[in-house]
Amino acid sequence: MRSNSGSIHMKLPVPLAFLMFLSSAMWALAATRFGTDLRGQPVHDLAIPGTRAVVLFFAASDCPLSNRYVPEIARLTQEFGPRGVRVWWVYPNPGDTAEVVDKHNRAYAISGDSILDTNQSLVKLAHATVTPEAAVFVVEGKTLREVYQGRVDDRYISLGQERPQAQHHDLELAITAALAGKPVPHPQGPPVGCSIVFLPK
Amino acid sequence: MKSKRLWVIGCAGTLAGLGLLVALAATQAAAMPQGPAGQATAGPTENGAPPTWAHDVAPVIYTHCTTCHHQGGAGPFSLLSYADAKRWAPQILNVTQSRFMPPWLPEPGYGDFADVRRLSDSDRALVKRWIDTGVTLGDAKAAPPAPQYDNTWQMGKPDLVLNVAQPFTLPAGGTDVFRNLILPYPLKQTHYIRAMEIKPGAPQVVHHANVLVDRSAAMRHAHPDDWQTGIPGMELFVDAGNKFDPDSHFLFWKPDTPALVEPEGMPWRLDPGNDLILNIHLKPSGKPETLDAEVGLYFTPNPPVKQPMLLALERDDQLDIPAGDAKFVIEDELTLPVDVDVLGCYPHAHYLGHDMQGWATLPNGEKKWLVWIKDWDIDRQSVYRYREPLFLPAGTVLHMQYTYDNSAENPHNPHVPPVRVRAGNRSEDEMGHLWLQVLPVNTQAGAPDPRLKIEEAWMRRRLENTPDDQVSLYNLASALAGQGKYAEAAEEFEANLKMTPNDARTLTALGAAEEGAGQVALARASYGRAIALGKPADSAGCDARFNLARLGVRHAEYAEAEKEFRGLLAACPEDAETRSGLGAALLGAGRTDEAAREFHRALELDAADFTALYNLGVIAADAGQTEQAAGLLESALKAWPASPDAHEKLAMVYAQLQRLPDARAQLRAAAALTPDDAQVHSSLSQVLAAMGQSEDAFAEQKQALKLNPQDADGWNNLGAMLARGGQTEAARSAFERALQIEPDHAQAKANLARLAARN
Repeated sequence: MRSNSGSIHMKLPVPLAFLMFLSSAMWALAATRFGTDLRGQPVHDLAIPGTRAVVLFFAASDCPLSNRYVPEIARLTQEFGPRGVRVWWVYPNPGDTAEVVDKHNRAYAISGDSILDTNQSLVKLAHATVTPEAAVFVVEGKTLREVYQGRVDDRYISLGQERPQAQHHDLELAITAALAGKPVPHPQGPPVGCSIVFLPK
Repeated sequence: MKSKRLWVIGCAGTLAGLGLLVALAATQAAAMPQGPAGQATAGPTENGAPPTWAHDVAPVIYTHCTTCHHQGGAGPFSLLSYADAKRWAPQILNVTQSRFMPPWLPEPGYGDFADVRRLSDSDRALVKRWIDTGVTLGDAKAAPPAPQYDNTWQMGKPDLVLNVAQPFTLPAGGTDVFRNLILPYPLKQTHYIRAMEIKPGAPQVVHHANVLVDRSAAMRHAHPDDWQTGIPGMELFVDAGNKFDPDSHFLFWKPDTPALVEPEGMPWRLDPGNDLILNIHLKPSGKPETLDAEVGLYFTPNPPVKQPMLLALERDDQLDIPAGDAKFVIEDELTLPVDVDVLGCYPHAHYLGHDMQGWATLPNGEKKWLVWIKDWDIDRQSVYRYREPLFLPAGTVLHMQYTYDNSAENPHNPHVPPVRVRAGNRSEDEMGHLWLQVLPVNTQAGAPDPRLKIEEAWMRRRLENTPDDQVSLYNLASALAGQGKYAEAAEEFEANLKMTPNDARTLTALGAAEEGAGQVALARASYGRAIALGKPADSAGCDARFNLARLGVRHAEYAEAEKEFRGLLAACPEDAETRSGLGAALLGAGRTDEAAREFHRALELDAADFTALYNLGVIAADAGQTEQAAGLLESALKAWPASPDAHEKLAMVYAQLQRLPDARAQLRAAAALTPDDAQVHSSLSQVLAAMGQSEDAFAEQKQALKLNPQDADGWNNLGAMLARGGQTEAARSAFERALQIEPDHAQAKANLARLAARN
């Protein structure tokens, strides 16, 4: 939970070659196993050919704030899907088994692609800490470069402090900027939600 | 027959009658772990071993959290097990340290409230240390058993369950939703409600709910085509019906208090034709939620013996908050005309409210806090009930001072950038109310309802704030009429009619006031105008016709009255008053058996119908069924304690039963209500004389004759008392006075002769 820290960990865009060697924020496509899908099949490819950007939305079936973002993520999926953006619903918590998530997705009418991040490799790669939280990667050849990590919007200021509606749509702005090849703005506040239940080290 | 039929418009504001916050239901309380709420549990010291779930933390969680945080509860997740608490530990730490949870807005020390949910500093520190030291389980076997919660009615099977006409579906996302769901009361009898339980259908999305009793189903009638789906809006403003019947109870539901149990002797009432309105605040959850709300009602046969009232300080008229203003203040005050106990309060604003203060300044200058909320949050609003009733004597000035923040820095501000905001019903408008539940105390037996004085003071204050407010003017006039100040009432109704010249309802009320003031011709004309204006079956038209029919009974025009009442029954909804009115017309015409049938039918519709009870009492007394008559008249007085006729009649019945002290008490109550009624003093004199209290008897008889010097019987009786006391000369002149008035007064003649023989 980050609401009180105010600190935001961002991966700033840095030269590609440099990142290749030093940063986990860039991976070679199809090189890693990214958890499993709901049928238990390993997910190897986050981006199918033609994908321009990948969005990971970190979710938890039992987190109320994460659930309140379902309509917003569905909206962004619908808006940006046709423009080459692949949105993944990433479930990092050990309690979110295939059965639990399947039931949850049906209840919330989530039709997007889901990944059970069983070894939390996506959590590590995206530096996510809470649900709901999002990360945006641009596809550059066979690699992904993280250009955004943080809150979806500013509706929640902290647990218990809520705006009647979001005024600043950080994630949407980030995706738009990424697609336009422009510098991606940082989130303007910390993500607010439920701590990811980290696996024992 | 004496029933009033005056109109009062309720200004229910946001409220409805709301229920008191109530102790948790029995099944939960039984499962409560040791250690009362707020008390620090016996945890280890800072230097000792880390606190454990089993020994230290579970009791705190079970006391403060799990009433909502259980499977199927209003909380979004369960905290019943160690595993649950461990999973949510980071959030628990965050929200207890920020005091977001448990939700409790009032500042400690500013109002002494019951059911305080605020976590004590020691419990808060304990939770923090438990999490900081790694959420230790401890000896699992030693942990207290988890409370049991289930989805059944907390108080057993309700006497009546009301359902919404159609389930309401809350969208998956978007802003919060404020909706009014209408639940018609289907019964044909009046019932008193001692408890109510609300099952909203989807507790996790219902933030809070107010229940309003809509006496005239006004909201349903205003939305004939779409009421089944519920009406959007945050505030309610409905018609309070046609009797002085102010909203009296906080029927406020919040997630951890599903059952609202009223204090002994303070049930609330539902009449045929009433609707309950469930005014709910909903928070979308991410998926569509269906609310199939149910309201369970628990009846009591006993009418209330204590009549509280809700009143509000408010300055909505001043709410015109400039964009960007971070410190916009409104203030209101109201001087209490009677002694009251304050039982609870309900501060209310929308998203811009920030600092909300309420206090009372006693006549001796002492300041007593009612409530202080330093950082208002609409999501956590609640009714707050005082731990002990807060006594405030007459002359106390109630104050409210609310501060609003319409700057961009207020995260709750619905407008970015801020805009000018005024009072209104939508959530993005504002409101500024401080509702109080007050119970008049130290009241005079037999006096008019003391709440009418409060209503009068409240409405006068509202008119000072907003002189053109017709509702306040109407209510003021009604409050005056209710206190028997008919001429003043008629004046205020006339003023009201200047603003709305052709309002059938105000004309009807004016007619009632004129009738009360003895201006029968004017009253008839006002009723006639109202009937001509209203549609035959609308409520104003029906009431004018009722009043005209009743006027017929009062002036012994029984045949016309009967015709009017029968017409009324054909055209308008059947109610107890119309039935008992018809009964009174028949009784007047000497058709006693037919009359009795109508009275019994009236009592089927409303067991507390005064007219039916009173007249059945009179019929029984005339038939020599004295015991039965006493019972009926006693019930009649419960329904209307301020009826001098019922007191007088009951006194006569008691006198026949040789219950002289009871008879004396009834006559004294009647005399307090109508001090200028010579007959009451005369009767009281007779009873006192029979009890051997000669001096008092003599004084009452003199009082009676002062009020009515032309009473030959009275002079004769006075003479008899004087003669018994040996005052022969004075007795003689009293008998002679009787004979001056009535030369053939046989007893006076005989007494005079006896007096002469004695000498």
